[in-house]
Amino acid sequence: MSKQDGIATAAEDSDVDPILRIRDLTVRFEMDRGTSRVLNGVDLDIRRNEIIGIVGESGSGKSMLASALLDAVVAPGITDGEITYHPPTDEPIDVLDLSEEARRQFRWEEISMVFQGALSSFNPTMDIRGHFEETLEAHGYPIGPGIDRAAELLNDLYLDPDRVLESYPHELSGGMKQRALIALALVLEPEVLVMDEPTAALDLLMQRSIVSLLADIRDKHDLTMVFITHDLPLVTKLADRIGVLYAFEFVEVGETEAILRDPAHPYTRALLNATPNLDAPLEEMRPIDGSAPDPVNVPSGCAYHSRCPLATDDCEREQPRMESVTGSHDVACHHWTEVDEIPLTNEVDR
Amino acid sequence: MSSRTESVDVLESDKALETVADETLTRRDRWELAIERSVLAPARIVWSDLRARVGIAILSGFVAMAIVGTRVIDEPRTGEGDRLEPAFQSLAHPLGTDSVGRDVLGQIVHATPNMLLMILAGGVFTTVMATTVGTTSGYLGGRADRLIMSVTDIVMTIPGLPLVVILAAALSPQNPLVIGVILTINAWAGLARAIRSQVLTIRKNAYVEASKAMGISTPSVVRRDILPNIMPYVLINFVEAARNVIFASVGLYFIGVLPYDSVVNWGVMIDLAYQGGALQSMAATHWLLAPLLTITLLSFGLIMFAQGTDRMFNPRVRARHTTSNDGTDSTASPTGDRR
Amino acid sequence: MRRYYFERTAQLVFTVLAVMTLTFFLVRLLPGGPADALRANLIRNNPEMTADQIDRRVEAQLNIMPDDPLHVQYLTYITELLQGDMGQSLSQGAPVTDVIASAAPWTIFTVGTAVAIAFVIGISMGALMAYREGSRFDSGATITSVLLNSVPDYIYGIIFLWILGYQLDIFPTGGRYSSSTEPTINLLTPIQTLAFVGDVLWHAALLISAIVLVAWGGWALGMRGNSVQVLGEDYLRVARLRGLPQRHIAFRYVGRNAVLPMYTSMLITIGFLLGGSIILEQVFSYPGMGYYMIEALERRDYPLMMGVFLVITITVAIGVYVADLTYGLIDPRARVDGGGSS
Repeated sequence: MSKQDGIATAAEDSDVDPILRIRDLTVRFEMDRGTSRVLNGVDLDIRRNEIIGIVGESGSGKSMLASALLDAVVAPGITDGEITYHPPTDEPIDVLDLSEEARRQFRWEEISMVFQGALSSFNPTMDIRGHFEETLEAHGYPIGPGIDRAAELLNDLYLDPDRVLESYPHELSGGMKQRALIALALVLEPEVLVMDEPTAALDLLMQRSIVSLLADIRDKHDLTMVFITHDLPLVTKLADRIGVLYAFEFVEVGETEAILRDPAHPYTRALLNATPNLDAPLEEMRPIDGSAPDPVNVPSGCAYHSRCPLATDDCEREQPRMESVTGSHDVACHHWTEVDEIPLTNEVDR
Repeated sequence: MSSRTESVDVLESDKALETVADETLTRRDRWELAIERSVLAPARIVWSDLRARVGIAILSGFVAMAIVGTRVIDEPRTGEGDRLEPAFQSLAHPLGTDSVGRDVLGQIVHATPNMLLMILAGGVFTTVMATTVGTTSGYLGGRADRLIMSVTDIVMTIPGLPLVVILAAALSPQNPLVIGVILTINAWAGLARAIRSQVLTIRKNAYVEASKAMGISTPSVVRRDILPNIMPYVLINFVEAARNVIFASVGLYFIGVLPYDSVVNWGVMIDLAYQGGALQSMAATHWLLAPLLTITLLSFGLIMFAQGTDRMFNPRVRARHTTSNDGTDSTASPTGDRR
Repeated sequence: MRRYYFERTAQLVFTVLAVMTLTFFLVRLLPGGPADALRANLIRNNPEMTADQIDRRVEAQLNIMPDDPLHVQYLTYITELLQGDMGQSLSQGAPVTDVIASAAPWTIFTVGTAVAIAFVIGISMGALMAYREGSRFDSGATITSVLLNSVPDYIYGIIFLWILGYQLDIFPTGGRYSSSTEPTINLLTPIQTLAFVGDVLWHAALLISAIVLVAWGGWALGMRGNSVQVLGEDYLRVARLRGLPQRHIAFRYVGRNAVLPMYTSMLITIGFLLGGSIILEQVFSYPGMGYYMIEALERRDYPLMMGVFLVITITVAIGVYVADLTYGLIDPRARVDGGGSS
């Protein structure tokens, strides 16, 4: 299968100021039964100070994207392509080409991450203060001001800094650990915060309250956030833009409003229709038929054709390219102009 | 390769079968299933492991020595050869003779039956005691559980060897079966605790709850639902207990704590050789080394056997074997008789 | 938490009482009975004594009044034990307490040193094996430790003694220290002190090595298992992402989290090796507690034998007790409640 599926379109417009420019990003694992491409030639521009939501079902490659942004794909995975980081003042940095020491500094100082196993992300035999101190120390930051900043962050996240700093991980609840971890990710004042399913292990109420805190944090600290989740309605509450991943590639990227109101890809429509909604009658909820494709054997043509009601012979043969719907709203579908044939049965509000 | 997979499958399908279709089976069928599940199927998996094969070969060798060897080789007598004949010099005394001319090989061989009896007694006592205490305690729960576990903790705290020394002095046991039990007098406690926690885990399983809800009596729930699940665990600990019996009995015979009236005992041989100057002069080396190597070989055999069986009970190992060999030949009947 | 401390303490007290009771009845089971043996002995050596005097001597030495009702005997026995009086050693001609007090430090020294060495070797090897999981080093070390484990420590002892003691004459074949060396522990005479300590280590070296050879493997395998688990934890990945130095991760993350759960088992092992050294002390004629226990057994010196048994057992019981109670202090995970609110 060819790597090139999308030409960079609206994202390449000169008026946007990308902090991260991703081109043809591929992550593969060589396995006995073939090459597994868990990210397949992805292009994306992440704009400075935006919150971008990356949505996809499990096994769509979204966690790999998160790891790749920090060049932290676990062995034996191989990351190819280009990720360019544009610091506010200095020269752009090629993330995948950093020396080991430079990469060590880059992580957490420029881009930091809160990832899936948030509840087990702390050393169980070390108090929370120890985690902040060792991080500051490893990056040569002064401890005193660093701890002050940590306390301020914890405070912003509605935690009692004195109590939390002296606690051991098991003494904190899931939601407290999650927020402490966000504070830990921000203690070195990074420019970008990548969050991979940060709220998956929390209850609904806690998810909502953390999401609303994140918006405040972004404003206060001029952050860029990449919020990766399978939960489309959750991320619409927060994100400025949304990218939909299907089968290790983006199928639709656009402003949240546009994605919600005029989803141009059949898959995005299916995702929206599959969203549980207390107000909608049950029969209008549509689970998506079929299952996510195997990374070793991605279907030819459009990877979604076997599950798509609009699929034609073209879709089986030819891979759709990214096309512009309006402005910065892009979609990769041969039939996006006919997509209204799939009605939106479900209102998802912001 | 395929036999492993099937055996695993048989193991699991039987489990499912018994819990679902128990009532429809005759008593005989159930016994056949039980034997298949807890003896034959595991045995096939065990045999596929090299270490287990080594272990089984060594252990079989010792059993053969006890049964056949004692008939073929004469019981050692004083003066049947020269004093301290070296090993590998004559066919009459392949391992040489001791300081009063007794055949060393004969001593080794004729000591085997009693040692195996001791091991068996110790292993059986430990596992039966531990299984009884552990399952009862874990199954009863509540106050009874706490009481039994307190007693178990106390027994566990008493260091085995000094206690055994005192018991041996007090009872002067001669019978190898009694010695085996005395040597493992408090070895059951640790295993009982482990079995109890296994039982606590299993107890939560739905089918045990279901049996209780259906009003099936406690002993039969223990026997039908709980025992089969902990059998693998018990087997490994049986081997462990057996090994400790060898170490302790030889050691205690060696230091003269256990009474003896016959020289055909490995520990006694070491003691006599040690006192007879085997350390100081090279002339008696064979007399000392023969029992030392025998003990090492036997305990090595037991360890290899335990390691081999351990692999089969390790779910990760089992999972690996199931996935890597699937679909080769799945004609196993539920009772598992193939080939 | 307080409830746990209380229950644990009650259990300790109960254990000690149970062991004392056990020895009380076991003494009565012993062949000939110690009182009879002692009485016969006294009559033979002191024909001029009256029966009454002999009874009193028997009582003084054994903590037993043979003619009192059993429950009175029992209470007297327990009371005197609790006062630290374990009777008179017949074979050593001294109070049991004194004999044990002079022997115990030697056993504790050898066993303690052996456990410390085995522990250090074990956890270092285990951590290395985990870091190189699946390598040739890993499987080689696993096989070695299993092989070493399939031989009891006293066999190593005999072989060491035979080769290194008698045949090559590198190490002494018995005793605590050379008769030519003055026992000196004095900071003012450092040379003599060093010479003495060196001599003591030289005498104990083979015994200690025999224990180490058997004991390290178990810890290595335990440490390996724990470390492999920790290496797969999420917090380790996060620690690496945070750019913490390798050494810091190895010690504060892998080491700490893998070793702490082994703390209790280490204290318990020390206790059990105190008892397990009985045979080794015989092999090396090393006069520690186990050596005296067998001495006493052979010479029907039951008070001394029971005394050693009591001391070893109670030491183990207290060791386990301390291990259980202090585990919460060293491993925050074990502090279920309390802690955070303080």
